[in-house]
Amino acid sequence: MRALLQRYRELVFVAALLAAPLAVYMVRGRKPARLNLLDRAIIQLTAPVERMIVGVAGAMVDVFQGYVWLRKVRFENLELRRTVVRQRSEVDSAHEIRLENERLRKLLALRDSLGPVPTMPAQVVAVGASPLSHSLRIARGLRDGLVRGAPVISAEGVVGTIAQLADGYADVQLVTSPFSAISALNQRTRGRSTVKGTGDVTRCKLEYALRTDEILESDVLVTAGGAGHFPKGLRLGRVTEIVKKPYGLFQQARVIPAVDFSRLDEVLVVLAPPEPQIPQALPRAAVERGKP
Amino acid sequence: MTLRVALVLLVCLVATVVESVFPFLFGLTRARADLLLSVVLYLALNDQAISSAGLSAAAGYLGELSSATPTGLYTLLAMLTWVVVRLTARGLRSDGGPLSAAIAFGASLVHSLLAAGLFFLVAPAPAELSWGPAAALLSALMTGAAAPVIFGVLRRIDAHFIPVGGGEPLPGGRR
Repeated sequence: MRALLQRYRELVFVAALLAAPLAVYMVRGRKPARLNLLDRAIIQLTAPVERMIVGVAGAMVDVFQGYVWLRKVRFENLELRRTVVRQRSEVDSAHEIRLENERLRKLLALRDSLGPVPTMPAQVVAVGASPLSHSLRIARGLRDGLVRGAPVISAEGVVGTIAQLADGYADVQLVTSPFSAISALNQRTRGRSTVKGTGDVTRCKLEYALRTDEILESDVLVTAGGAGHFPKGLRLGRVTEIVKKPYGLFQQARVIPAVDFSRLDEVLVVLAPPEPQIPQALPRAAVERGKP
Repeated sequence: MTLRVALVLLVCLVATVVESVFPFLFGLTRARADLLLSVVLYLALNDQAISSAGLSAAAGYLGELSSATPTGLYTLLAMLTWVVVRLTARGLRSDGGPLSAAIAFGASLVHSLLAAGLFFLVAPAPAELSWGPAAALLSALMTGAAAPVIFGVLRRIDAHFIPVGGGEPLPGGRR
């Protein structure tokens, strides 16, 4: 028997190694079994190593991914900054368009309020080069049918008159120019006067108001209208300081212009100043009496 | 226990650890390189019957410990693989890298078939042990790729312990 085992020892050994796990499985495998001492020892030996490797590898992966992600974040950041700049520009542009739209709506409302008076919108493209010039340049000119002296207005009130013309551009003399004089009405009392420029862009002066007229501070002055002038009722400014001397026919006052000239983008040019209102049906005899 | 056996067991332990850790790190769930199978394969091809069978059983047992399958199944599977390889691959040389990779690829497919059969017998088609041809093929490819490394390590160990020109002829042609 011993010799037989010795002769087939390899076969027996292999068969035993095959049978043993099968037997173990048959006995213990079908239901959970506690690990034996050897199992636990091997797991105690390998698990920390596995844990360490996983930890180290995880840390390396984290560092690597952190680096890669940081690089990605950098590029992403750059891209986002570009996007923000682009979108901010778009927002600004949209905001600008909205403001322009509002201004144009106001101009349109003003145009409607003027009734049959023909007007033309014009874009302000520049201001006078000299600080003493008190003028604006608009992108309308002879080509558009503008004439010298044509009134220029905005939604806030009177801007000035066309002073000089080129084909596509015109210079507007502001009401604050010392050369400007516009016939005015006190909106409250209907007293007449003249608003002249002072050379100071923030104020005008009121002249030729009768001493007997009641003028109060904060009275609003509007255009008096008349042939070849501004349409009637456009806001000129507000009275601030009244100067009434103890002598003379007239009183004076300072006037704050209704328009902030530094914030003008669009204006309306009145193309045909209102015609003088001629009394209709004058008596024929009276007409003939007027003849030389 | 000789130093060689201890070293081979150490290789098995390292292979177990690597096999447990790397698929986890790389998220390999369906397929992975079976390093312990490469050890069993090398032993079946190059070692004496008794020592290689014992070490293969030990490799199966280590695989079992790290895979939480029912006790005995992986050991049995390792032994079955050892027997099949020992019986069919006698005389095959596994010296070169590509050759050992090819042998490991084939052996891995056989191993998968054996595993499928065995698991079907003991537990018909449980979800966690489901075997798919694609996964088996991928595992075989990965095992084939890893086998030259395992073979190289074990060959270096053997070079120190098996005298050149001496000893019993081995199935793989080595002495």
